[in-house]
Amino acid sequence: MEFLGNIWNSFAALFTVTPGWMTFGGWVAAGLTICLFSFLYKDNPFFKVAEHLYLGAGMGWLFQVYLFQTWKPKVFLPLMEGQYSVLIPTLLGLSLVTQFFPRISWISRYGFTFIMGYGSGLVIPLTISTDFLKQIGGTIAPFMVSEINSGNIMSLLNGTFVAFGFICVLFYFFFSVEHKGAVKKASNIGIYFLMLYFGAAFGNTVMGRFSLLYGRFDDLYKYSAPDYFYATHVVLGLLVAYFILDKLVLSRRGGGQEAH
Amino acid sequence: MKNALEKFLKIDRRLIFLALTVLLFAPIVRPLGLPNKNLGKDVVNVYNYIENLPERSFVMLSLDYDPATRPELHPQAVALIKHALRRNLRVGIFTLNAGATGMIEDIAARIPSDIAPDKVYGRDYVIMPFQPNPVAVMTQLGINIYEIYDKDRNGNPTKDMEVMKGVKSVKDMGLGICITGTAMLDYYVAYVADKYKFPMAGGVTAVSQPGYGPYLQTGQLKGLIGGMKGAADYETLIKDLEKGTSGIDALSLAHVLVIVLIVTSNIIMLVLKYL
Amino acid sequence: MIFIKKHIPLFICFFVGVLTLGSYYVPNARSENYLEMMNKWENIVAGFAFLLGLMSLFYSHFHKISRKAPGWGYSLFVYVGFLLVVVPAIVSNGQPMSLTNEMTSLGWIYRFVFTSLSGTMFAVLAFYIVSTAYRAFRIKSPQAFVLFAAAFIVILGRVPLGQMMWDGLLGWTGYQVTDVIEWLMSVPVVAGRRGIMIGIAIGGIVTALKIIFGIERQYMGKD
Repeated sequence: MEFLGNIWNSFAALFTVTPGWMTFGGWVAAGLTICLFSFLYKDNPFFKVAEHLYLGAGMGWLFQVYLFQTWKPKVFLPLMEGQYSVLIPTLLGLSLVTQFFPRISWISRYGFTFIMGYGSGLVIPLTISTDFLKQIGGTIAPFMVSEINSGNIMSLLNGTFVAFGFICVLFYFFFSVEHKGAVKKASNIGIYFLMLYFGAAFGNTVMGRFSLLYGRFDDLYKYSAPDYFYATHVVLGLLVAYFILDKLVLSRRGGGQEAH
Repeated sequence: MKNALEKFLKIDRRLIFLALTVLLFAPIVRPLGLPNKNLGKDVVNVYNYIENLPERSFVMLSLDYDPATRPELHPQAVALIKHALRRNLRVGIFTLNAGATGMIEDIAARIPSDIAPDKVYGRDYVIMPFQPNPVAVMTQLGINIYEIYDKDRNGNPTKDMEVMKGVKSVKDMGLGICITGTAMLDYYVAYVADKYKFPMAGGVTAVSQPGYGPYLQTGQLKGLIGGMKGAADYETLIKDLEKGTSGIDALSLAHVLVIVLIVTSNIIMLVLKYL
Repeated sequence: MIFIKKHIPLFICFFVGVLTLGSYYVPNARSENYLEMMNKWENIVAGFAFLLGLMSLFYSHFHKISRKAPGWGYSLFVYVGFLLVVVPAIVSNGQPMSLTNEMTSLGWIYRFVFTSLSGTMFAVLAFYIVSTAYRAFRIKSPQAFVLFAAAFIVILGRVPLGQMMWDGLLGWTGYQVTDVIEWLMSVPVVAGRRGIMIGIAIGGIVTALKIIFGIERQYMGKD
């Protein structure tokens, strides 16, 4: 056992993070980022490698999270301590894995029905109180006597506008009645309110995505510093050289695909 | 002329990608230094709520974002922690998102170095471990938090820590703030704020921000910090400019590019229609 | 046999669903204990549900490698990426920082590999938004114009340059662009969003009830 322990300790020692590893990390980060961005020019093997690495790394990350946050502290350790009640959810969970074996895949229904029953039971109070009653309450609130008496005309006007728009949007989504006459007029007005919502959502989406892109560019700028031995420049240069070579080789062979 | 306009309308999209890259990268290398003057009302509401909390109130900060949303949400988290600690409030950092643990470690390393060097772990702030199954955790937060958070992220017992004195559930806390790029804030509103009448505020991505208008109106959320602009506004309020401010400075040209492209393509389309 | 394969699972769904729904509204110690127990169980079962997805991914890529399908070499990198995260995680015992606050190998992988890959994947969408806005955003109707107007105000109003442009052109109105954005977000956007939320809420409640009462059984697979 001591021998195995020593081997494990020697193996673990290889994973010590030193300042050199931090610099190398900058190269890895710059390389992976630029490889993923290279798809914007053209599909290439470097992008595909990075894409598959992301798939594996993403699953690996979740695996280690569940291993150390769920399986070890909530299943393995309680079982070692004799708390056998965790066997019930463990068996329900393991039953899900029988999905892969067609002859016994019906056993997975036990796990699925537990998850679905629990999830459905929880979602009803969530949506009723938060997305339904509170929203209707919020629409009615500006028209309460105390609010009207406070004399805030703008608040009353805005509240009327919201209530009006809200009802028109509901008319738009109500498909049990044919949209004609007054219903059609109301639903057309509802569409304008929806367009305002989608326009604002589009604006925020643009800002959100640009913020993420800014974050990546900021990191690339950091890794282009002398501290990281100009990692960004070197990786970018190598990729550009690859594309130039690729184009030369392709133009000699004739044909090839470009992503437009 | 018609052919030229049609060609321009069908321009290779890689040129557009290049334009965006240049316009977004250039301000990083050479900042524009534009002032952020107009502050959002919902951000100011969060700031004022924290300003008005009595000293040593407990603020629950749930950091539920992952690296994908780091540029928008991490500056918000840093600004909020700076404000809360400098106001001499107790801060509990929680997370229900496994991807946030790395960024929480960044914050943990920064608190003793530049955020609030005079604050002591265990007395002024505590960092709880990641817990999966958010709804289960949130339900427990309103009953007895030590059922789930009996130990902090380093394995130390939490019940007797000075920072947790008098805190058994969210009912003993002053404010809860959830910073997330997913629907976690919706869950907090439903399972904590509504159920236990606990004041909550949120920090969200710009993409999700319009969806929270109804919650702000009904008072289910006391305030909302949205995207990088929200982070920049908060940094302006606490007078400590950082990544949020430099970020929206860099975004200025990119935003103008989007508008110019949409307007240009529609003008060309109109001109082609009448040519 | 059909009793074990169909009726008992449906009963479990009904029983757990009704008890969970009821416990939210019953302020009793027993219901709170039940909820606590169910929460812990759900925690554990969800962990195993992930295992299902993982095995499915590994199986499909293994199949690709064994058949030497086109691009099978890339499938090897899925396993490489997986081991790249899991091995350091096991060595570091799941901690990104050690007890002496030094970065572990898991912390290194998280910072330089996972963050780069996941952040970049999402950031790439920004480029596609811009090129699609140029190629496909055509204002051909009043509704599209309203959408563009709202997007225009929000996109420009949220950055300092846009705020300066607004102050220069429309500052004489006395309204800041943030005032307009706030009105937009708190009045018409709320109206639109509320309508959508109610629609989704009704749909969600109906579907949840159908699942609890066993009317909706697609998730159980074929009989």
